[in-house]
Amino acid sequence: MVPISHILILAGMIFALGVVCVFAHRNILMILIGVEIMLNAAGLAFVAGSMRWGMPEGQIFVLFLMAMAASEVSVGLALVVYLHKRKRSVNIDDFNEMKD
Amino acid sequence: MGIRQGILLALVFVPVLAAIPVLLVPSGRAARLIALIITAFELALSLVPFAVFMQPRPDGWLVRLDLSWIPAFGINFSLGLDGISLLMAALTAFLFMLSVLVSWDAIRDKSPMFHFMLLVMETCVMGVFLSTDLFLFYLFWEVMLVPMFFLIGVWGHGRKVYSAVKFFVYTFTGSLFMLLAIIGLYVIHGSQAGEYTFALEALKSTHVEPATGLWLFAAFFIGFAVKVPVFPIHSWLPDAHTDAPTAGSVILAGLLLKTGAYGLIRFGFPLFPEASAAYIPVILAVGIIGVYYAAWIAYAQEDMKRLVAYSSISHLGFVVLGIAAWNEVSLAGSVLQMVNHGITTGALFIMVGMLDERMHTRDISAFGGLWSKAPGLSAFFLLFIVSSLGLPGLNNFAGELLILVGLFKEYPYLAAAAFAGVVFTLIYLLRLAQKVLFGPPATDAEFHDLSPREAAILVPLAILVVVIGLYPRILIGPIEGPIKALVSPVAAVKTAGATPQAATAPAQTAAADRGGTP
Amino acid sequence: MPSFSMDNMVSILPEMIVLSLALAVLMFDLALPKDEKRYLAYFSVAGLAIAGYQTMNLAGLQLDTFYGMFVLDGYAIFFKVLFYIAAAIAILISIGYVKGQEMDKGEYYALILFATAGMMVMASGADLISIYLGLELMALSVYILAGFMRGSMKSNEAALKYFLLGAFSSGILLYGIAIIYGVTGTTNLAGIAAFIQSGQYSGPALTLAMILLVAGFGFKVAAVPFHMWVPDVYEGAPTSVTAFMSVGPKAAGFAAFLRVFTTALPGIQPDWTVIIASLAIMSMLIGNVVAISQTNIKRMLAYSSIAHAGYAMVGFVSGGMQGVSSVMMYLFIYMFMNLGAFGMVVMLRKDGVAGEELKDFAGLAKKNRTAALLMMVFMFSLAGIPPTAGFMGKFYVFMAAIDAGFTWLAIIGVMMSAVSAYFYLRVIMYMYMKEPEGEFELAAPLSLKLAMAVAVLGVLYIGMAPAGLIDFARISIAGMM
Repeated sequence: MVPISHILILAGMIFALGVVCVFAHRNILMILIGVEIMLNAAGLAFVAGSMRWGMPEGQIFVLFLMAMAASEVSVGLALVVYLHKRKRSVNIDDFNEMKD
Repeated sequence: MGIRQGILLALVFVPVLAAIPVLLVPSGRAARLIALIITAFELALSLVPFAVFMQPRPDGWLVRLDLSWIPAFGINFSLGLDGISLLMAALTAFLFMLSVLVSWDAIRDKSPMFHFMLLVMETCVMGVFLSTDLFLFYLFWEVMLVPMFFLIGVWGHGRKVYSAVKFFVYTFTGSLFMLLAIIGLYVIHGSQAGEYTFALEALKSTHVEPATGLWLFAAFFIGFAVKVPVFPIHSWLPDAHTDAPTAGSVILAGLLLKTGAYGLIRFGFPLFPEASAAYIPVILAVGIIGVYYAAWIAYAQEDMKRLVAYSSISHLGFVVLGIAAWNEVSLAGSVLQMVNHGITTGALFIMVGMLDERMHTRDISAFGGLWSKAPGLSAFFLLFIVSSLGLPGLNNFAGELLILVGLFKEYPYLAAAAFAGVVFTLIYLLRLAQKVLFGPPATDAEFHDLSPREAAILVPLAILVVVIGLYPRILIGPIEGPIKALVSPVAAVKTAGATPQAATAPAQTAAADRGGTP
Repeated sequence: MPSFSMDNMVSILPEMIVLSLALAVLMFDLALPKDEKRYLAYFSVAGLAIAGYQTMNLAGLQLDTFYGMFVLDGYAIFFKVLFYIAAAIAILISIGYVKGQEMDKGEYYALILFATAGMMVMASGADLISIYLGLELMALSVYILAGFMRGSMKSNEAALKYFLLGAFSSGILLYGIAIIYGVTGTTNLAGIAAFIQSGQYSGPALTLAMILLVAGFGFKVAAVPFHMWVPDVYEGAPTSVTAFMSVGPKAAGFAAFLRVFTTALPGIQPDWTVIIASLAIMSMLIGNVVAISQTNIKRMLAYSSIAHAGYAMVGFVSGGMQGVSSVMMYLFIYMFMNLGAFGMVVMLRKDGVAGEELKDFAGLAKKNRTAALLMMVFMFSLAGIPPTAGFMGKFYVFMAAIDAGFTWLAIIGVMMSAVSAYFYLRVIMYMYMKEPEGEFELAAPLSLKLAMAVAVLGVLYIGMAPAGLIDFARISIAGMM
């Protein structure tokens, strides 16, 4: 049996990786992937919690979460594809119409 | 609600209700006419109490009106009329009517909106002088800024937008601190008495910790002092006055400045007897500095309007001294002087406006030898100048004398210094009279004497100047009672010093006052 | 375990109405010809009115349904009423605008209704998961709305930025929820409170989760330092959408924020008080100070919206009956005045293009007195000058703060209000004290006029007779506190 703290530490590391991915990359697709990694880290933490308390809720939440992530990605990808069509670029720095 | 309460309500709300049709009428002429009728009606209304009911109720008010407004916060729509507010209300009605008259020809652009702003302003100023609920008072106090901002910014001249914004930001900031202090006092009172209320009479009985009281009074004082204005925070005033249209200057000098002094008398000192006693040296200092400093600056002014504006600061310095001395004589002098200054300075601004309309300049050096060209106008000008410098027999003399006598009782040396200040005033005002009225004519341009409308404006002012000067009792009579009631609780604290008994004295007095209410 | 009862259906009746309305709009959209889409808008507004009527009929109920995941109480009803009004005014503002901007599609109204349904779920959520679901439903709809003006690069970019930062923030929020679940074994708000109360755990994980929740909600309510998306998105999004976005999702964010922190986390109140107080201070400072230098009115209103989140958080920090009801009242008032201000921006067109620069307002008073007067009222209200509602809102918030002993917060708030007076006044200055340049065309169809009339009446009525709204807010939370 894996101790719960190990799973939580792993989830924390994955979450941190996701955050780093969001901030380190200029490519919009990579940023999106970073966000997805964050969501999955949260899902992992839910599963760990579910195991700790011996309750099925955590697992159910992960199902919810996957559905949410899918709809989020569909909106996000649609946007990215459209923007790529217009600007031929997926670099976040190219989108700077508005400045202070 | 009886007919007396109805008069109170009408005094406050008739102008703002009339303002709406004024805004909607298409022609400037109709707007002017409605505004004139309404302000005349207000003047008549404000004189009714003098004739009909001067018998105070047991609690000292002539009329009271209390309606529930926002019960969740303990806010009532409370108006109260006593001798002091009656004088101020009458002055308000009088000066607003004059303002409509002086703008008759001068304001042609967007005339309906101008009169809309004037009438809204009248409601606010009336509200400030009549409110006895701190929240209501603050509301009127704050709304007052809006029409003034427009009067200066839209119909002014010179750097009008700059002056309007400066006026707004200065006074808005000052009053926001007062708002905090009002809420603070409300919370303290609520936690003590268990009943949350903004009613002035109830809040007077609050026992405030000395340290907290110092902060709260300071916040109130800043709010009022910006309006008065007191020496280091006066710099908005010369700009606002210079760039305002004549009617704006008249209201600004005649009424807005008075709201600050009135606030100190009605709210500042009575709410915090101990804290205000502790601040008296500071207030005396800024008062006397104001008298000298403003007189000094006024001497150097070439723009007549700016000169009169600085003379306002100097005169208001006397009023502040009278308030700080806080005895019956000095306070009566201050209230009297508030009315006098409204009349005299209002008249001076009107006259400067008339000169400006003729010559399109307010530069002192552009005038000269006016006496020979326009004797009527010059005679009035001279009368108001000598009234302003305190010639015995004219109105300002009575007020200043009372202030100085009252001040002398408490602080003889300061009274001596203030008296010397009068001499200062003499210098710059006589210089103004000498340069403009006498001496060689600066130009040989055509110069019209007074038109009938202008004479109709100036004659009542001149009559008031003389009548009040010869017989000040007509004004002192109504305010004696209320001033006595105001002086005693604070004076008790002052004489007792910071002894423990002093803390309870005002509370008992206020409680006794309330006990008398039927 | 309670059995499934009719109460469940009753409690979600308002949501059902709004969702069916959204689906009906999508269906009718197919039947309507291309330039007749405005009927969908009227239909939506009528539907929202029915939903509002039904919701008011439920007032006074206290239903705890769906195994504790969803409640219908006074608090939820208060916010639902707010959302209906916000959505209805936003739709009325939109009708003419979407036509002019070539985005006259039926989905526009459906998306506003979906977002409204999401906000309603947020206000009613009694479980972190249902709150999260509501939040996502709202956010996804608004992402699309932000990019609805397909031809405009600015709008596309606004949608992209809003989406990326929004998704990022909901990831943070979700991770916070996961930690709370791991620590307490439940996501039910009452269950979390009971767990913390029992003192079984008091470690750093809970504090960490709380901070993540603050960050997640902080994004939605546009509080500093989670505000970086606000100026760009507000400027880029279609103005009618910005109007909706600046009031609806913000109020919904506060509704969930307040409920989670006051019902689930009162056990660690000292911790979050410090954090939210500092957020409030930063929001008021940065929002107001940066707004001074803006020349684009949408961007200025974006910073002002950040500042207003700060004022609302002052009430939040104060807590208790006074604090919570002051925030509710503030948001209600903010809804009217901000929708009004954006509505005027929608109305103003100059030389054929949308007038979004401050200088486009120059001399408006000469050309159209009514429009200038309305904008003046909204600006004074945002600045908090009586007798407008904005003053009452600020007054209540600062009063709650002083009452709860947060005098210094009130002092900062008041000083920042004085600063804010400057940039709101500047708009008035431009309208009344400058000469007009160029040609004004006011795009004011009847629907927009109606919306503005509602907004200005709301601002003035609440400003002069706030007693009803105060009582509404106080009664609403009587069951919760």
